Amino acid sequence: MKTAGKRKRQEGSLTLHFRKYFPYYAMMLPGIIYLIMFKYVPMMGSVIAFKDYSVFQGIWGSAWSGLENFKKLFEYPDFYRILRNTIVLGFIKTFLVFPIPLILALMLNELRNAKMKKAIQTIICIPYFISWVVVGGLVFDFFGVGGIFNNVREALGMDTLLVMQKESWFRPVYLISTIWKESGWGTVVYLAAISSIDPSLYESASIDGASRFQKMRYITFPLLVPTALILLLLNIGNFLTLGFDQVYNLYTPMTYSVADIFDTYVFRVGIQEAQYSFATAVGLFQSVVGLIMVVVFNKIANKVSEDGGLW
Amino acid sequence: MKIGKRKAHAHVHESRGDIMFGAVIAFILIVFAIATAIPLISELAVSLSSKTASQMNRINLLPVEFTLDSWKYLLAKGGIWKPFLISVTSTILGVAIALILNVLMAYPLSKTEFKPSKYIMLFVVFTMIFAAPKVPYFLTLRTYGLYNNYWVLILPHIMTAYNLIIVRTFFKQFPKELEEAAMIDGCGKFRILFQIVLPASKAVLATVGLFYGVTMWNQYEHPLMFINNMDLFPLQMKIRSIVDGGSELQAVTMLQDANYTQATLSAVAVVFAIIPILIAYPWIQKYFAKGAMLGSVKG
Repeated sequence: MKTAGKRKRQEGSLTLHFRKYFPYYAMMLPGIIYLIMFKYVPMMGSVIAFKDYSVFQGIWGSAWSGLENFKKLFEYPDFYRILRNTIVLGFIKTFLVFPIPLILALMLNELRNAKMKKAIQTIICIPYFISWVVVGGLVFDFFGVGGIFNNVREALGMDTLLVMQKESWFRPVYLISTIWKESGWGTVVYLAAISSIDPSLYESASIDGASRFQKMRYITFPLLVPTALILLLLNIGNFLTLGFDQVYNLYTPMTYSVADIFDTYVFRVGIQEAQYSFATAVGLFQSVVGLIMVVVFNKIANKVSEDGGLW
Repeated sequence: MKIGKRKAHAHVHESRGDIMFGAVIAFILIVFAIATAIPLISELAVSLSSKTASQMNRINLLPVEFTLDSWKYLLAKGGIWKPFLISVTSTILGVAIALILNVLMAYPLSKTEFKPSKYIMLFVVFTMIFAAPKVPYFLTLRTYGLYNNYWVLILPHIMTAYNLIIVRTFFKQFPKELEEAAMIDGCGKFRILFQIVLPASKAVLATVGLFYGVTMWNQYEHPLMFINNMDLFPLQMKIRSIVDGGSELQAVTMLQDANYTQATLSAVAVVFAIIPILIAYPWIQKYFAKGAMLGSVKG
């Protein structure tokens, strides 16, 4: 009797809950359907990595093939090349580019002329909003025949260099284009962190006779380290997701050997050459390793600072 | 950013070393800004130069034998307006849909007294940390009929966990008293959202709208995967095909009386694509900075 009564009350509170919150459910419905259709169903589609996908039988009807695609994957020499490229380019993006926004923000903060500061910030931020297609066009023109790079070389008596077709130049170009496009915008977060530093710290340092450099070195910089560390940790978590557009718009068939990353490889092999199951195995490998990295580095970020992680 | 203010009284005595330090920093930053601008200026110069100047590789930072011929050709006959319109309409439509969807989803999620919100947040955040591999993603969306479909420029981009969290964080900070007062007056939840909360949320809507807008305007991977019908090309695809220099373009530049080359036409295309960004830039800068701050505050 007791339990029955309890259940009845629970049911009552459940209907009450739905009656009260019905509008909330209605509001969320489109979003939930959207996420299921565009995020979760494609995720489920990853099962074709364990299948021999046939266009006629579709994702669910195709025959199982076990770990065949993964076996092929790990035996494939291309796989290690792509893995290496992804790691090398990820390293460039995460560690080499990383300090530049911090340095730029520290320097911008030292500019006394507010107008000049605003102007410089405006100029260096613009590239962030330009698409990689357009940046790719700019890079090819800059380094190409008749571009400034080769005109300068010619003026110095050097030969024309086909930068974009040279394997040894891909990584430097990748580095430069990343700095050009993204470092200006990266300063915004640091400048916001700087603006929240207590001014009295600088005042007391001035009274103690600290120089501007000392104030930057011993006050501003140490106070930015936590922000920098968190950004670094979150970036490491996203190590494998370098972004398709950048590499795709910078590489040429001549530089595939050093430029091909998971994203571009999966696009060419999976979608253009229609090796669906194999490319899904490659993609799934990338997603799972990526997931582990994001979770681990998010945990570390949360440890470093109470509010540091993404969630 | 209000950084300038506090400095005013912090440096009463400026030593010689400090002045030198300031000068060196200003110098480095100016050099960096100029280096950033050079590729853009050079591209503009190429787009405004003549055929012979381009063929002789004589163009650096200023137009050589100034002419508008490349611009005239590309704008009149380059077939760039249709892709431009497709990009404009899909971006505007996409931002509108994205804002409605995100606002509706974020509002209930901002209510702590609404218990299921916690679980739905997990459902949302998981999409941020685990991306579906590209191939099943492609195959699934193709079964939805999105292959060679205008809507593939819009639908994949109308909700990201990151932006949703920004809107939710903003709603969380909305004063409860206002909503409660409206509830006592007999307002339903939809009316509270649309008549009380939203009018006070213009800043966050502008920010998130711009985030979505820039993503949609600049997108390349989706059209590359899903669109091979040239009539449906958005601007970025068109730019890429001009920069790559298709056979049609080559034929045109071969003509005797043509005062343009592949290089000058591709420069026009690149500059053309940057102009809308520059026009929108004052808003972009204002609201993106706000977004960067909002994004760093978790709810």
